[in-house]
Amino acid sequence: MIRVDGLTKVFRRPRTFSGPLGTLRTLVTRQYEEKSAVAGVTFEVGEGEVIGYLGPNGAGKSTTIKILTGILTPTSGTVEVNGLVPWRDRSANARNVGVVFGQRSQLWWDLPLIESLRLVGSLYDVPAARFATSLKKLRDLLGLDDFLDTPVRQLSLGQRMRGDLAAAVLYEPPLLYLDEPTVGLDVLAKEAVREFIVETNRTGRTTVVLTTHDLADVEALCRRIILIDHGRVLFDGAIDALVDQPRRLVVLLESGPGQVRGVSRDADGRYVFDIHDDLPGLIASIAAEHTIRDLSIEEPDLESVIKGIYAR
Amino acid sequence: MVEVLRALRLYVLLQRASARGAMQYRLNTVIGILCGAVWQGTGFAFVWVVMTTFPSLAGWGLAEIAFLYGLRLTAHALAMIPMISVNDIQWVVREGEFDRFLLRPLNPLVQLMGNRMGIAQFGDLLVGVTLLAVAAQHAHVRWDVWLVAFCLAAIAGGALIEAAFFLALCSLALRMIDTFQLRVFVDDVFSKFGSYPMKIFGGVVEWVLTFALPVAFVAYVPASVVLGKLDSPWAPAAPVLGAGLIVLAYRIWRRQLDHYQSVGH
Repeated sequence: MIRVDGLTKVFRRPRTFSGPLGTLRTLVTRQYEEKSAVAGVTFEVGEGEVIGYLGPNGAGKSTTIKILTGILTPTSGTVEVNGLVPWRDRSANARNVGVVFGQRSQLWWDLPLIESLRLVGSLYDVPAARFATSLKKLRDLLGLDDFLDTPVRQLSLGQRMRGDLAAAVLYEPPLLYLDEPTVGLDVLAKEAVREFIVETNRTGRTTVVLTTHDLADVEALCRRIILIDHGRVLFDGAIDALVDQPRRLVVLLESGPGQVRGVSRDADGRYVFDIHDDLPGLIASIAAEHTIRDLSIEEPDLESVIKGIYAR
Repeated sequence: MVEVLRALRLYVLLQRASARGAMQYRLNTVIGILCGAVWQGTGFAFVWVVMTTFPSLAGWGLAEIAFLYGLRLTAHALAMIPMISVNDIQWVVREGEFDRFLLRPLNPLVQLMGNRMGIAQFGDLLVGVTLLAVAAQHAHVRWDVWLVAFCLAAIAGGALIEAAFFLALCSLALRMIDTFQLRVFVDDVFSKFGSYPMKIFGGVVEWVLTFALPVAFVAYVPASVVLGKLDSPWAPAAPVLGAGLIVLAYRIWRRQLDHYQSVGH
């Protein structure tokens, strides 16, 4: 469905100067600052997959999405989305993809939601009959009925996001890009968005590329994630493999020149053991030689694993 | 051709939608149209006052100047009614709204043009057409089908010349170059110099306004032809210039679009 190879995007802007006459020097300079937002990203996404495309702010996520959707032209590398080069076949590509930017609505601000949806239907040449069935399905699935006739500017964020999701799938694209679709939403609204994504993926075999900072989204939706930072891929694979690590026992001992065999103290003065099978035995063996002040058990979770990868 | 018809149909649809949006602010709309009409009306009222003291400017009588003024204003209004929304381009780009246009299967320029309806420009059109209609009867012109057709072509050509300059300057905003002040200046030149007989400005200015910035071709040259004041063999071809310039401007737009950088989150 998506094939990305050696994707690189370098932004080039005139160097800015500060100090006296700085503005003038900025205006006439021929020196440029180059910043690569994406530096040699390669990955593939198969039909029907839901992948999490993750990374810290400024990692290059949005730039990648903007290239995949045809908004930006890359500096080098190749991209093929459903057999098309997005920035070269913009119009044709647009028909294959639905896009939701959580930070920015795609709807017409001053018009009732239903009119925005009708306009989207016209722009994508959706025949009247198909529009009607599509709309009916979405009204049920997203509970649009309460605010279908409300101008978009008066919608709550959760309602607006549901409206945006409806607009993105109205023409039944085989591919969906969701850029932070749950940002700023309350727990219930987040749940509604997640359920909708699951449903769309399940019934329509829709491929979904999701960027988010909420790892609960990822855990609920994705089986595979791609982690990027500084424009490079750090990890690409199944979440299960990532979090498939032993639980850990964290122990704090009464002060003293205690040396526990085989384990050294971390910066906070704690001893960390991997738990393999015999937890009571492990605790007993420590307690036999030392006085335990406190202990806790840490489950492997996505957040700490990802933090670990970024820190590398 | 099918694609052009589709774009036209969708443009009308988008404009209707933006008009419906604008109608929610009804008073704004009324004020907008009135302001346009009053603004342009006072412009001509000033000429009228001057002409009561000097009955002739560079050999042009009041009716003739009214005809020229009306021709320019009508062309201006017809250029700006669809183009005014392109004027918003630097905000549209800065707010990231332009990204949305690139995500939809319709020419982004058509979407930008359909984004907002030029309201005040309908006031311009009202004054322009009224002036033209009244002046055409008082200006001692023997009207026939060909002359009327030439007039319509001249209006279209003039509108295209203004639209072309406007589009070329606006397209630079795609590379974050702000040409707003420059556009205000060019618009000013078109309206201040384009609405009067070039001869009153004399020599160099007349040459510049004819050949460097082709203000003269918007209304002055065609009006002179209609009023029998100009007999150069190339003058009747004035309307063609607009068609050439708009093609050029569109190419510049496409060129700039390839360099579009979007904005951060």
